[in-house]
Amino acid sequence: MTGYLLRRALGFVLVLWMVTVIVFALQAIIPADPARAITGPAAPAETVERVRGQLGLNDPIPQQYVRFLGNLARGDLGTSVRTRQPVADDLRRYLPATLELVGAAMILGTALALVLALAQMLLARSGAVRMTMLAAGSVPIFLSAMLLIYLFWFSLDWLPGAGRIGIRRFEGPTGSMVIDGILLGRPDVVGSALAHLVLPALALALPLAVAVGRSLASALHDVLRQPYAETARGKGLPEYRVVLRHGLRNAASPPLSMLGLQLGLMFGNLLIVERTFAWPGLGLYMVQSLASSDLPAVLGVALTFGAVYILFNMAVEIVQTLADPRMKL
Amino acid sequence: MTEPVVSVRDLVADLGREAEATRVLGGVSFAVGAGEIVALVGESGSGKSTIGKALQGLLPQDAVRHLSGSVRIDGTEVIGADPRTLRDVRRRLVRAVPQNPMGALNPTMTIGRQLAESGAARDDAETWLARTGLPDPRRILAAYPHRLSGGQRQRVMIAMAMVARPRLLIADEPTTALDVTVQAQILDLVASLRSEGTGVLFVTHDLGIAAGLANRILVCHRGQIVEDGPAAQVIRAPRAAYSRALLRARFDLSTDRSRPLPTAGTAEIAPWPPVAKGKSWALELYRVVKHFPAGPRGRWGRRQPVRVLDGIDLRIAAGECVALVGESGSGKSTLLRIAAGLETADAGDVSRSGSVPPQVVFQDAVGALTPWLPIGAQIGEGLPRDTRDTCIAEALREVGLDPALAAALPSELSGGQCQRACVARALIRKPSVLLCDEPISAMDVSLAAQVLNLLNDIRRRAGLGMLFVTHDLAAARLIADRIAVLDKGRLVEEGPSEEVVTSPRAAYTEQLLAAVPRLSREGLA
Repeated sequence: MTGYLLRRALGFVLVLWMVTVIVFALQAIIPADPARAITGPAAPAETVERVRGQLGLNDPIPQQYVRFLGNLARGDLGTSVRTRQPVADDLRRYLPATLELVGAAMILGTALALVLALAQMLLARSGAVRMTMLAAGSVPIFLSAMLLIYLFWFSLDWLPGAGRIGIRRFEGPTGSMVIDGILLGRPDVVGSALAHLVLPALALALPLAVAVGRSLASALHDVLRQPYAETARGKGLPEYRVVLRHGLRNAASPPLSMLGLQLGLMFGNLLIVERTFAWPGLGLYMVQSLASSDLPAVLGVALTFGAVYILFNMAVEIVQTLADPRMKL
Repeated sequence: MTEPVVSVRDLVADLGREAEATRVLGGVSFAVGAGEIVALVGESGSGKSTIGKALQGLLPQDAVRHLSGSVRIDGTEVIGADPRTLRDVRRRLVRAVPQNPMGALNPTMTIGRQLAESGAARDDAETWLARTGLPDPRRILAAYPHRLSGGQRQRVMIAMAMVARPRLLIADEPTTALDVTVQAQILDLVASLRSEGTGVLFVTHDLGIAAGLANRILVCHRGQIVEDGPAAQVIRAPRAAYSRALLRARFDLSTDRSRPLPTAGTAEIAPWPPVAKGKSWALELYRVVKHFPAGPRGRWGRRQPVRVLDGIDLRIAAGECVALVGESGSGKSTLLRIAAGLETADAGDVSRSGSVPPQVVFQDAVGALTPWLPIGAQIGEGLPRDTRDTCIAEALREVGLDPALAAALPSELSGGQCQRACVARALIRKPSVLLCDEPISAMDVSLAAQVLNLLNDIRRRAGLGMLFVTHDLAAARLIADRIAVLDKGRLVEEGPSEEVVTSPRAAYTEQLLAAVPRLSREGLA
């Protein structure tokens, strides 16, 4: 276990370092000028040049990169061109909202995946489940997000379609509205936050549910043909117990890997979903930063996503090991 | 006989997908009494395993086209029963022990929980684990299956079946996947179940095992029971022609090895002609050492090396056959792979005569052929184009196949034909050494006899050096001039075949010999 954690920590640093190299290379290629972005389009050329000098943009790229790494080691990600705030502060402000949304989407997606896979297993030869999964998997996220808004907010008005909460001026210790509401004993906050979570989380969860569900269904299909499943049937167990007790845990590994991979795709979808549902998280921050070529902010978000992705996949590997006693970290 | 616990009458089953249905069972009738061990003997495809599945009500539902007749177990009718009744029958009345225990236990559940699921109270589970000869039942109950060896797992399977106190125990070739020494222990254990009053239906392809274990023998052929009688009588004076053929094809440690084995249609067999042994060595292995990373993991997750071959010296002359005998994990397959050049030794020397590398004949003949390439194309791969077709035809004739089969795909051939094609593929390169990795262990006796005859004939005619890797001492004695016994990576014995079998020097060889099932006709009288 210690060896495993050491190896993974090394990989963690390596991947984050690669993210910085990629984003820095982008910075060198993209013809956007942060100095011009700060001073505004009407500023005289001398002012722009002075700001360039202050920002160190006239130094050679390797020197800029080394300076950046030094700052990063101290937790300084630079200053956002757009918000004029330290990027680290911006990230701290927007991260909880995104974590809450991603967490909800993960839980919802996994639950849906389970339902889809079991439905496909137990309703044998049912083409309907497969068709539903295929259809749900083929709808692009911007379309499904807009459909959800149109149906449940605009047309039926069952659920709110924008923002995180319907209550003004609520602050909690963790930044996750649902958890804060529970901690502070405010059922109104929990209710409102959950209602706001449903639609964006569902939009993010659909592609995840289809991918993980299909992976689980095919793993279960194989597992239920294994001799030990036949042994279980030979004991006179009903089929649902064979699936639940002997099937699921043995079939867990491939869908768990798929869940880890899907997180990366979800970060891409996050930009669209947070924009569509006006969700004040890192995705929305990223969209706005990209529009104003705010490279320090983009770099900060990319590093955060990278870190979360690696940590989550580490957790997946640990869970896989716990699920299978033959595996050792 | 007392009131039978199982009576099967006119059992007919058609199995198949879609419209293609084959009659797998064509009117099977028999009975098993309480405390009686009945052996169901037949070759692969005879329908013997289908009978076992039908008794449990576990035939794959989507493959059953027709099922009729009657199976009464302790008064309950199984054929046509609803799923609920069938589950009840499986829980209380019929239990099964599988062919391969390795995959038959859930890898992510402790043995204790799997036994509890089988309806065992904790004390009961412990008692039964102890009765099957497992040391320290408490530790086993808490363990996961991967901690146990194959033999231990099969004991657990037997305990798991017996805790339910079933009226009938179906054991479907429960020892074929196990090492010979373990096989003998499991057979003793099954024999001891007689006292429990449970009827045992023991499915096997080996008449020797059946003779040593069963009260009665049923011989199954093409979905029919062709013979049903007391074990001694079936072995001594079989009535059905098929039973006689099965008995004749069977070989053991006392079979005449001076001539080819009798196969169907052969009356008088001339002895093998003497082989002109070459003076040169076809294959020399000198102090071969090999490690595998299989030990416990170190700090950085790398496994410690474990020595699987520990200084092996082995030499094979041209025209000579050496059998390498050992149980699973002895390192015999690794040694063959090193001789073939598929694996490199960590230390020691391997030298081969001739320019053609040794060719290998594998255990799984069907898996050793590419499914979408015609046989001929696979045999002749890499030969010069102008003489390829004549070479392929000649190689096919040499292994007793019709040259017209060159255009056939592997799926159109039987298992035996596939193994012949594999031999042809090995021979066409004209190697000086042929390496055979358990080429007959997955075969029925009559087929195994044919392949043994073929390999023996070829190495005698072509003057090949042959390494024959096997776990079966009877087969080793028949084909090989010398036998080398491998135990845990060391050669514990090496000598002329007859000598090793009649007067073994190593204790391990004696153990292997004692475990070979024999048809002692005298003992049955």
